[in-house]
Amino acid sequence: MQQDLQTHKPGAADRPYQGVGYYGQPALKASPFGWKTSGYIFLAGMSGSAQILGTAADLFGGPGMEKTARNARHVAMIGATLGPLLLIGDLHTPSRWYNMLRIFRRTSPMSIGSYILSGFGAFSAVTAAADWIGMKRVARVTQVPAALAGAGMSVYTAALLSSTSTPLWAAAPRLLAVRFGSSAMACGAAALSLGERIDGRPGNAERLDRVAMVASAVDLAASLASRREYEADHVAAPLEQGALGAVHKIGAIAVGAGIPLVCHAINAGRRRPSAALSVLGSLAVLAGGMALRTAILRAGNRSAERPADYFRFARTPPNTLNERKRTLLPDTAARRVLP
Amino acid sequence: MGAVKDIPARAVPKRALDYAEPILPGMIPDESELTAGVTIVPGRSYGFFTDTTLCIGCKACEVACKEWNALPADDVGLKGTSYDNTGRLSANSWRHVAFVEKIGGDLDAGEGRGTERNTTTMPPFQSNWLMMSDVCKHCHNAPCLEACPTGSLFRTEFDTVVVQQDICNGCGYCVPACPFGVVDLNVADGKAHKCTLCYDRLKGGLEPACAKSCPTDSIQFGELPDLVERARERVDSLHERGATDAYLYGAPGSPGATGDLGHLNAFFLLTDRPETYGLPSAPTRASNRVAPALGTGLATMAGLTMVAVALFAANRRS
Repeated sequence: MQQDLQTHKPGAADRPYQGVGYYGQPALKASPFGWKTSGYIFLAGMSGSAQILGTAADLFGGPGMEKTARNARHVAMIGATLGPLLLIGDLHTPSRWYNMLRIFRRTSPMSIGSYILSGFGAFSAVTAAADWIGMKRVARVTQVPAALAGAGMSVYTAALLSSTSTPLWAAAPRLLAVRFGSSAMACGAAALSLGERIDGRPGNAERLDRVAMVASAVDLAASLASRREYEADHVAAPLEQGALGAVHKIGAIAVGAGIPLVCHAINAGRRRPSAALSVLGSLAVLAGGMALRTAILRAGNRSAERPADYFRFARTPPNTLNERKRTLLPDTAARRVLP
Repeated sequence: MGAVKDIPARAVPKRALDYAEPILPGMIPDESELTAGVTIVPGRSYGFFTDTTLCIGCKACEVACKEWNALPADDVGLKGTSYDNTGRLSANSWRHVAFVEKIGGDLDAGEGRGTERNTTTMPPFQSNWLMMSDVCKHCHNAPCLEACPTGSLFRTEFDTVVVQQDICNGCGYCVPACPFGVVDLNVADGKAHKCTLCYDRLKGGLEPACAKSCPTDSIQFGELPDLVERARERVDSLHERGATDAYLYGAPGSPGATGDLGHLNAFFLLTDRPETYGLPSAPTRASNRVAPALGTGLATMAGLTMVAVALFAANRRS
């Protein structure tokens, strides 16, 4: 039917759009995802990034960071064990969870993620077990694939949300991935930093705080950039207004990225870094990470129920949707969809 | 009558006379030949052409769909906005007739906003009612199917998209993936549901229930190339007679068939902006966002890992 592409006859659809919808009925269905999914996204990011940091500590950190690597393997096991439970609990027919591994579909981040989680779980378990029974060399080898899967764990959830028709999630796929990834790395570093403080290795905690500081800076920059993106697409409202707006602005951005950035920056400039500031920064990162996932998930569900948001979003010329050009063409031009 | 000329006369096969008895011994083989003028052959592409200029809002399609597919009622009550009390497509409503009454200047964007018009001065076209029987679009590149991690959603031998109920585990990812808000989870049975384009009937040589029950042939079932041709002729004919608002939604190269979706196997003839019927004018293919998101995310992780390695290596030296 290729020759047919030029035969669209203009009609009422070529008139300017005047904001009319169908009795305010939602034009989309919101995802059924709730707290289990946002909790999983948080845990997956923290555990996946902790595994990366543990592997980096084991391979490059020298003997002083050996115990850090072991802590990281424990943190990784939180995601490897609780993660699948949360996901299966979120299925509406949980007894058929194994159908997730029935096929592989590269167009589906849910399918990609099922294999990332399986690989992460298996390699993390082997690494942790080998570490416990003293087979350091085995752990040293298996931690590498576990860390690679950990990188996937940190960011595939952003691809999962972006690859839907929900306007808020679909509006900025790349920036959402940067936010989830940097927040995951900050959470992993924060969890390990707290562990180092408890175990009394402040030197390692300071290095991890630097990692968290850099990741928080990236997170903050991506947050501000994505906010502009959402506003340009007129999909920002659910993330700006009401209680969710507060969770996002205060919880995810101010507490999740701002406070740790300030705390760790102050510590970085001091000759004697303060343990209290370090712990405060780490706790803020973890709380903010959870707030970010909750706000994005719930605001997305709300955005799907707002027909005006979707109709505006789905007028963007489709060929530029995945490019960085976000200028909305005049309505009549937007309607001309010929490639 | 011009309207009659529009609808191409489909030859009724001679064998129709074989089934003139009031009680038939069994199913009529290839019954769709008699009711829709099309033989259903696996491997070919089938779909719906819903011509909203012929819709009279009788909701026979909604009822026939519920009857055949044994779907329960969603919400027995009055919406209070129009004659539409179904509201939207759902797990239990696979056809939905939308009603829009066009009175006054607000809804009529053609003459500019604020133009006061009423039923006595508006041209007597479609009685100033827009009615549209909405349905799953059976997209060529269906985002629900591309999102399904279990392979429960699949493309049938009739080029339609169907949820296999014995495989679906109710993850619900197809629900936000759909750009038309069609697929829905039924929390009672924990599975995703949507129009199957009467997969079971097609296998038995029967036209889908909604199309068969449509008294005005507003819903036409057929082979996709035939339907597109028929639809284009209908648009041309309407334009010739002055109804220049008419256009196709979801046919190849038209609004609705955007964003890499290809075309929609269930497409529509509309006479107002798509949004008036609750349809997006330029829906997108969700899976096009997988690579940008995943790639950028992994690059971010690689960069941050390098930072960590550098800091840890410095730690080792110190």
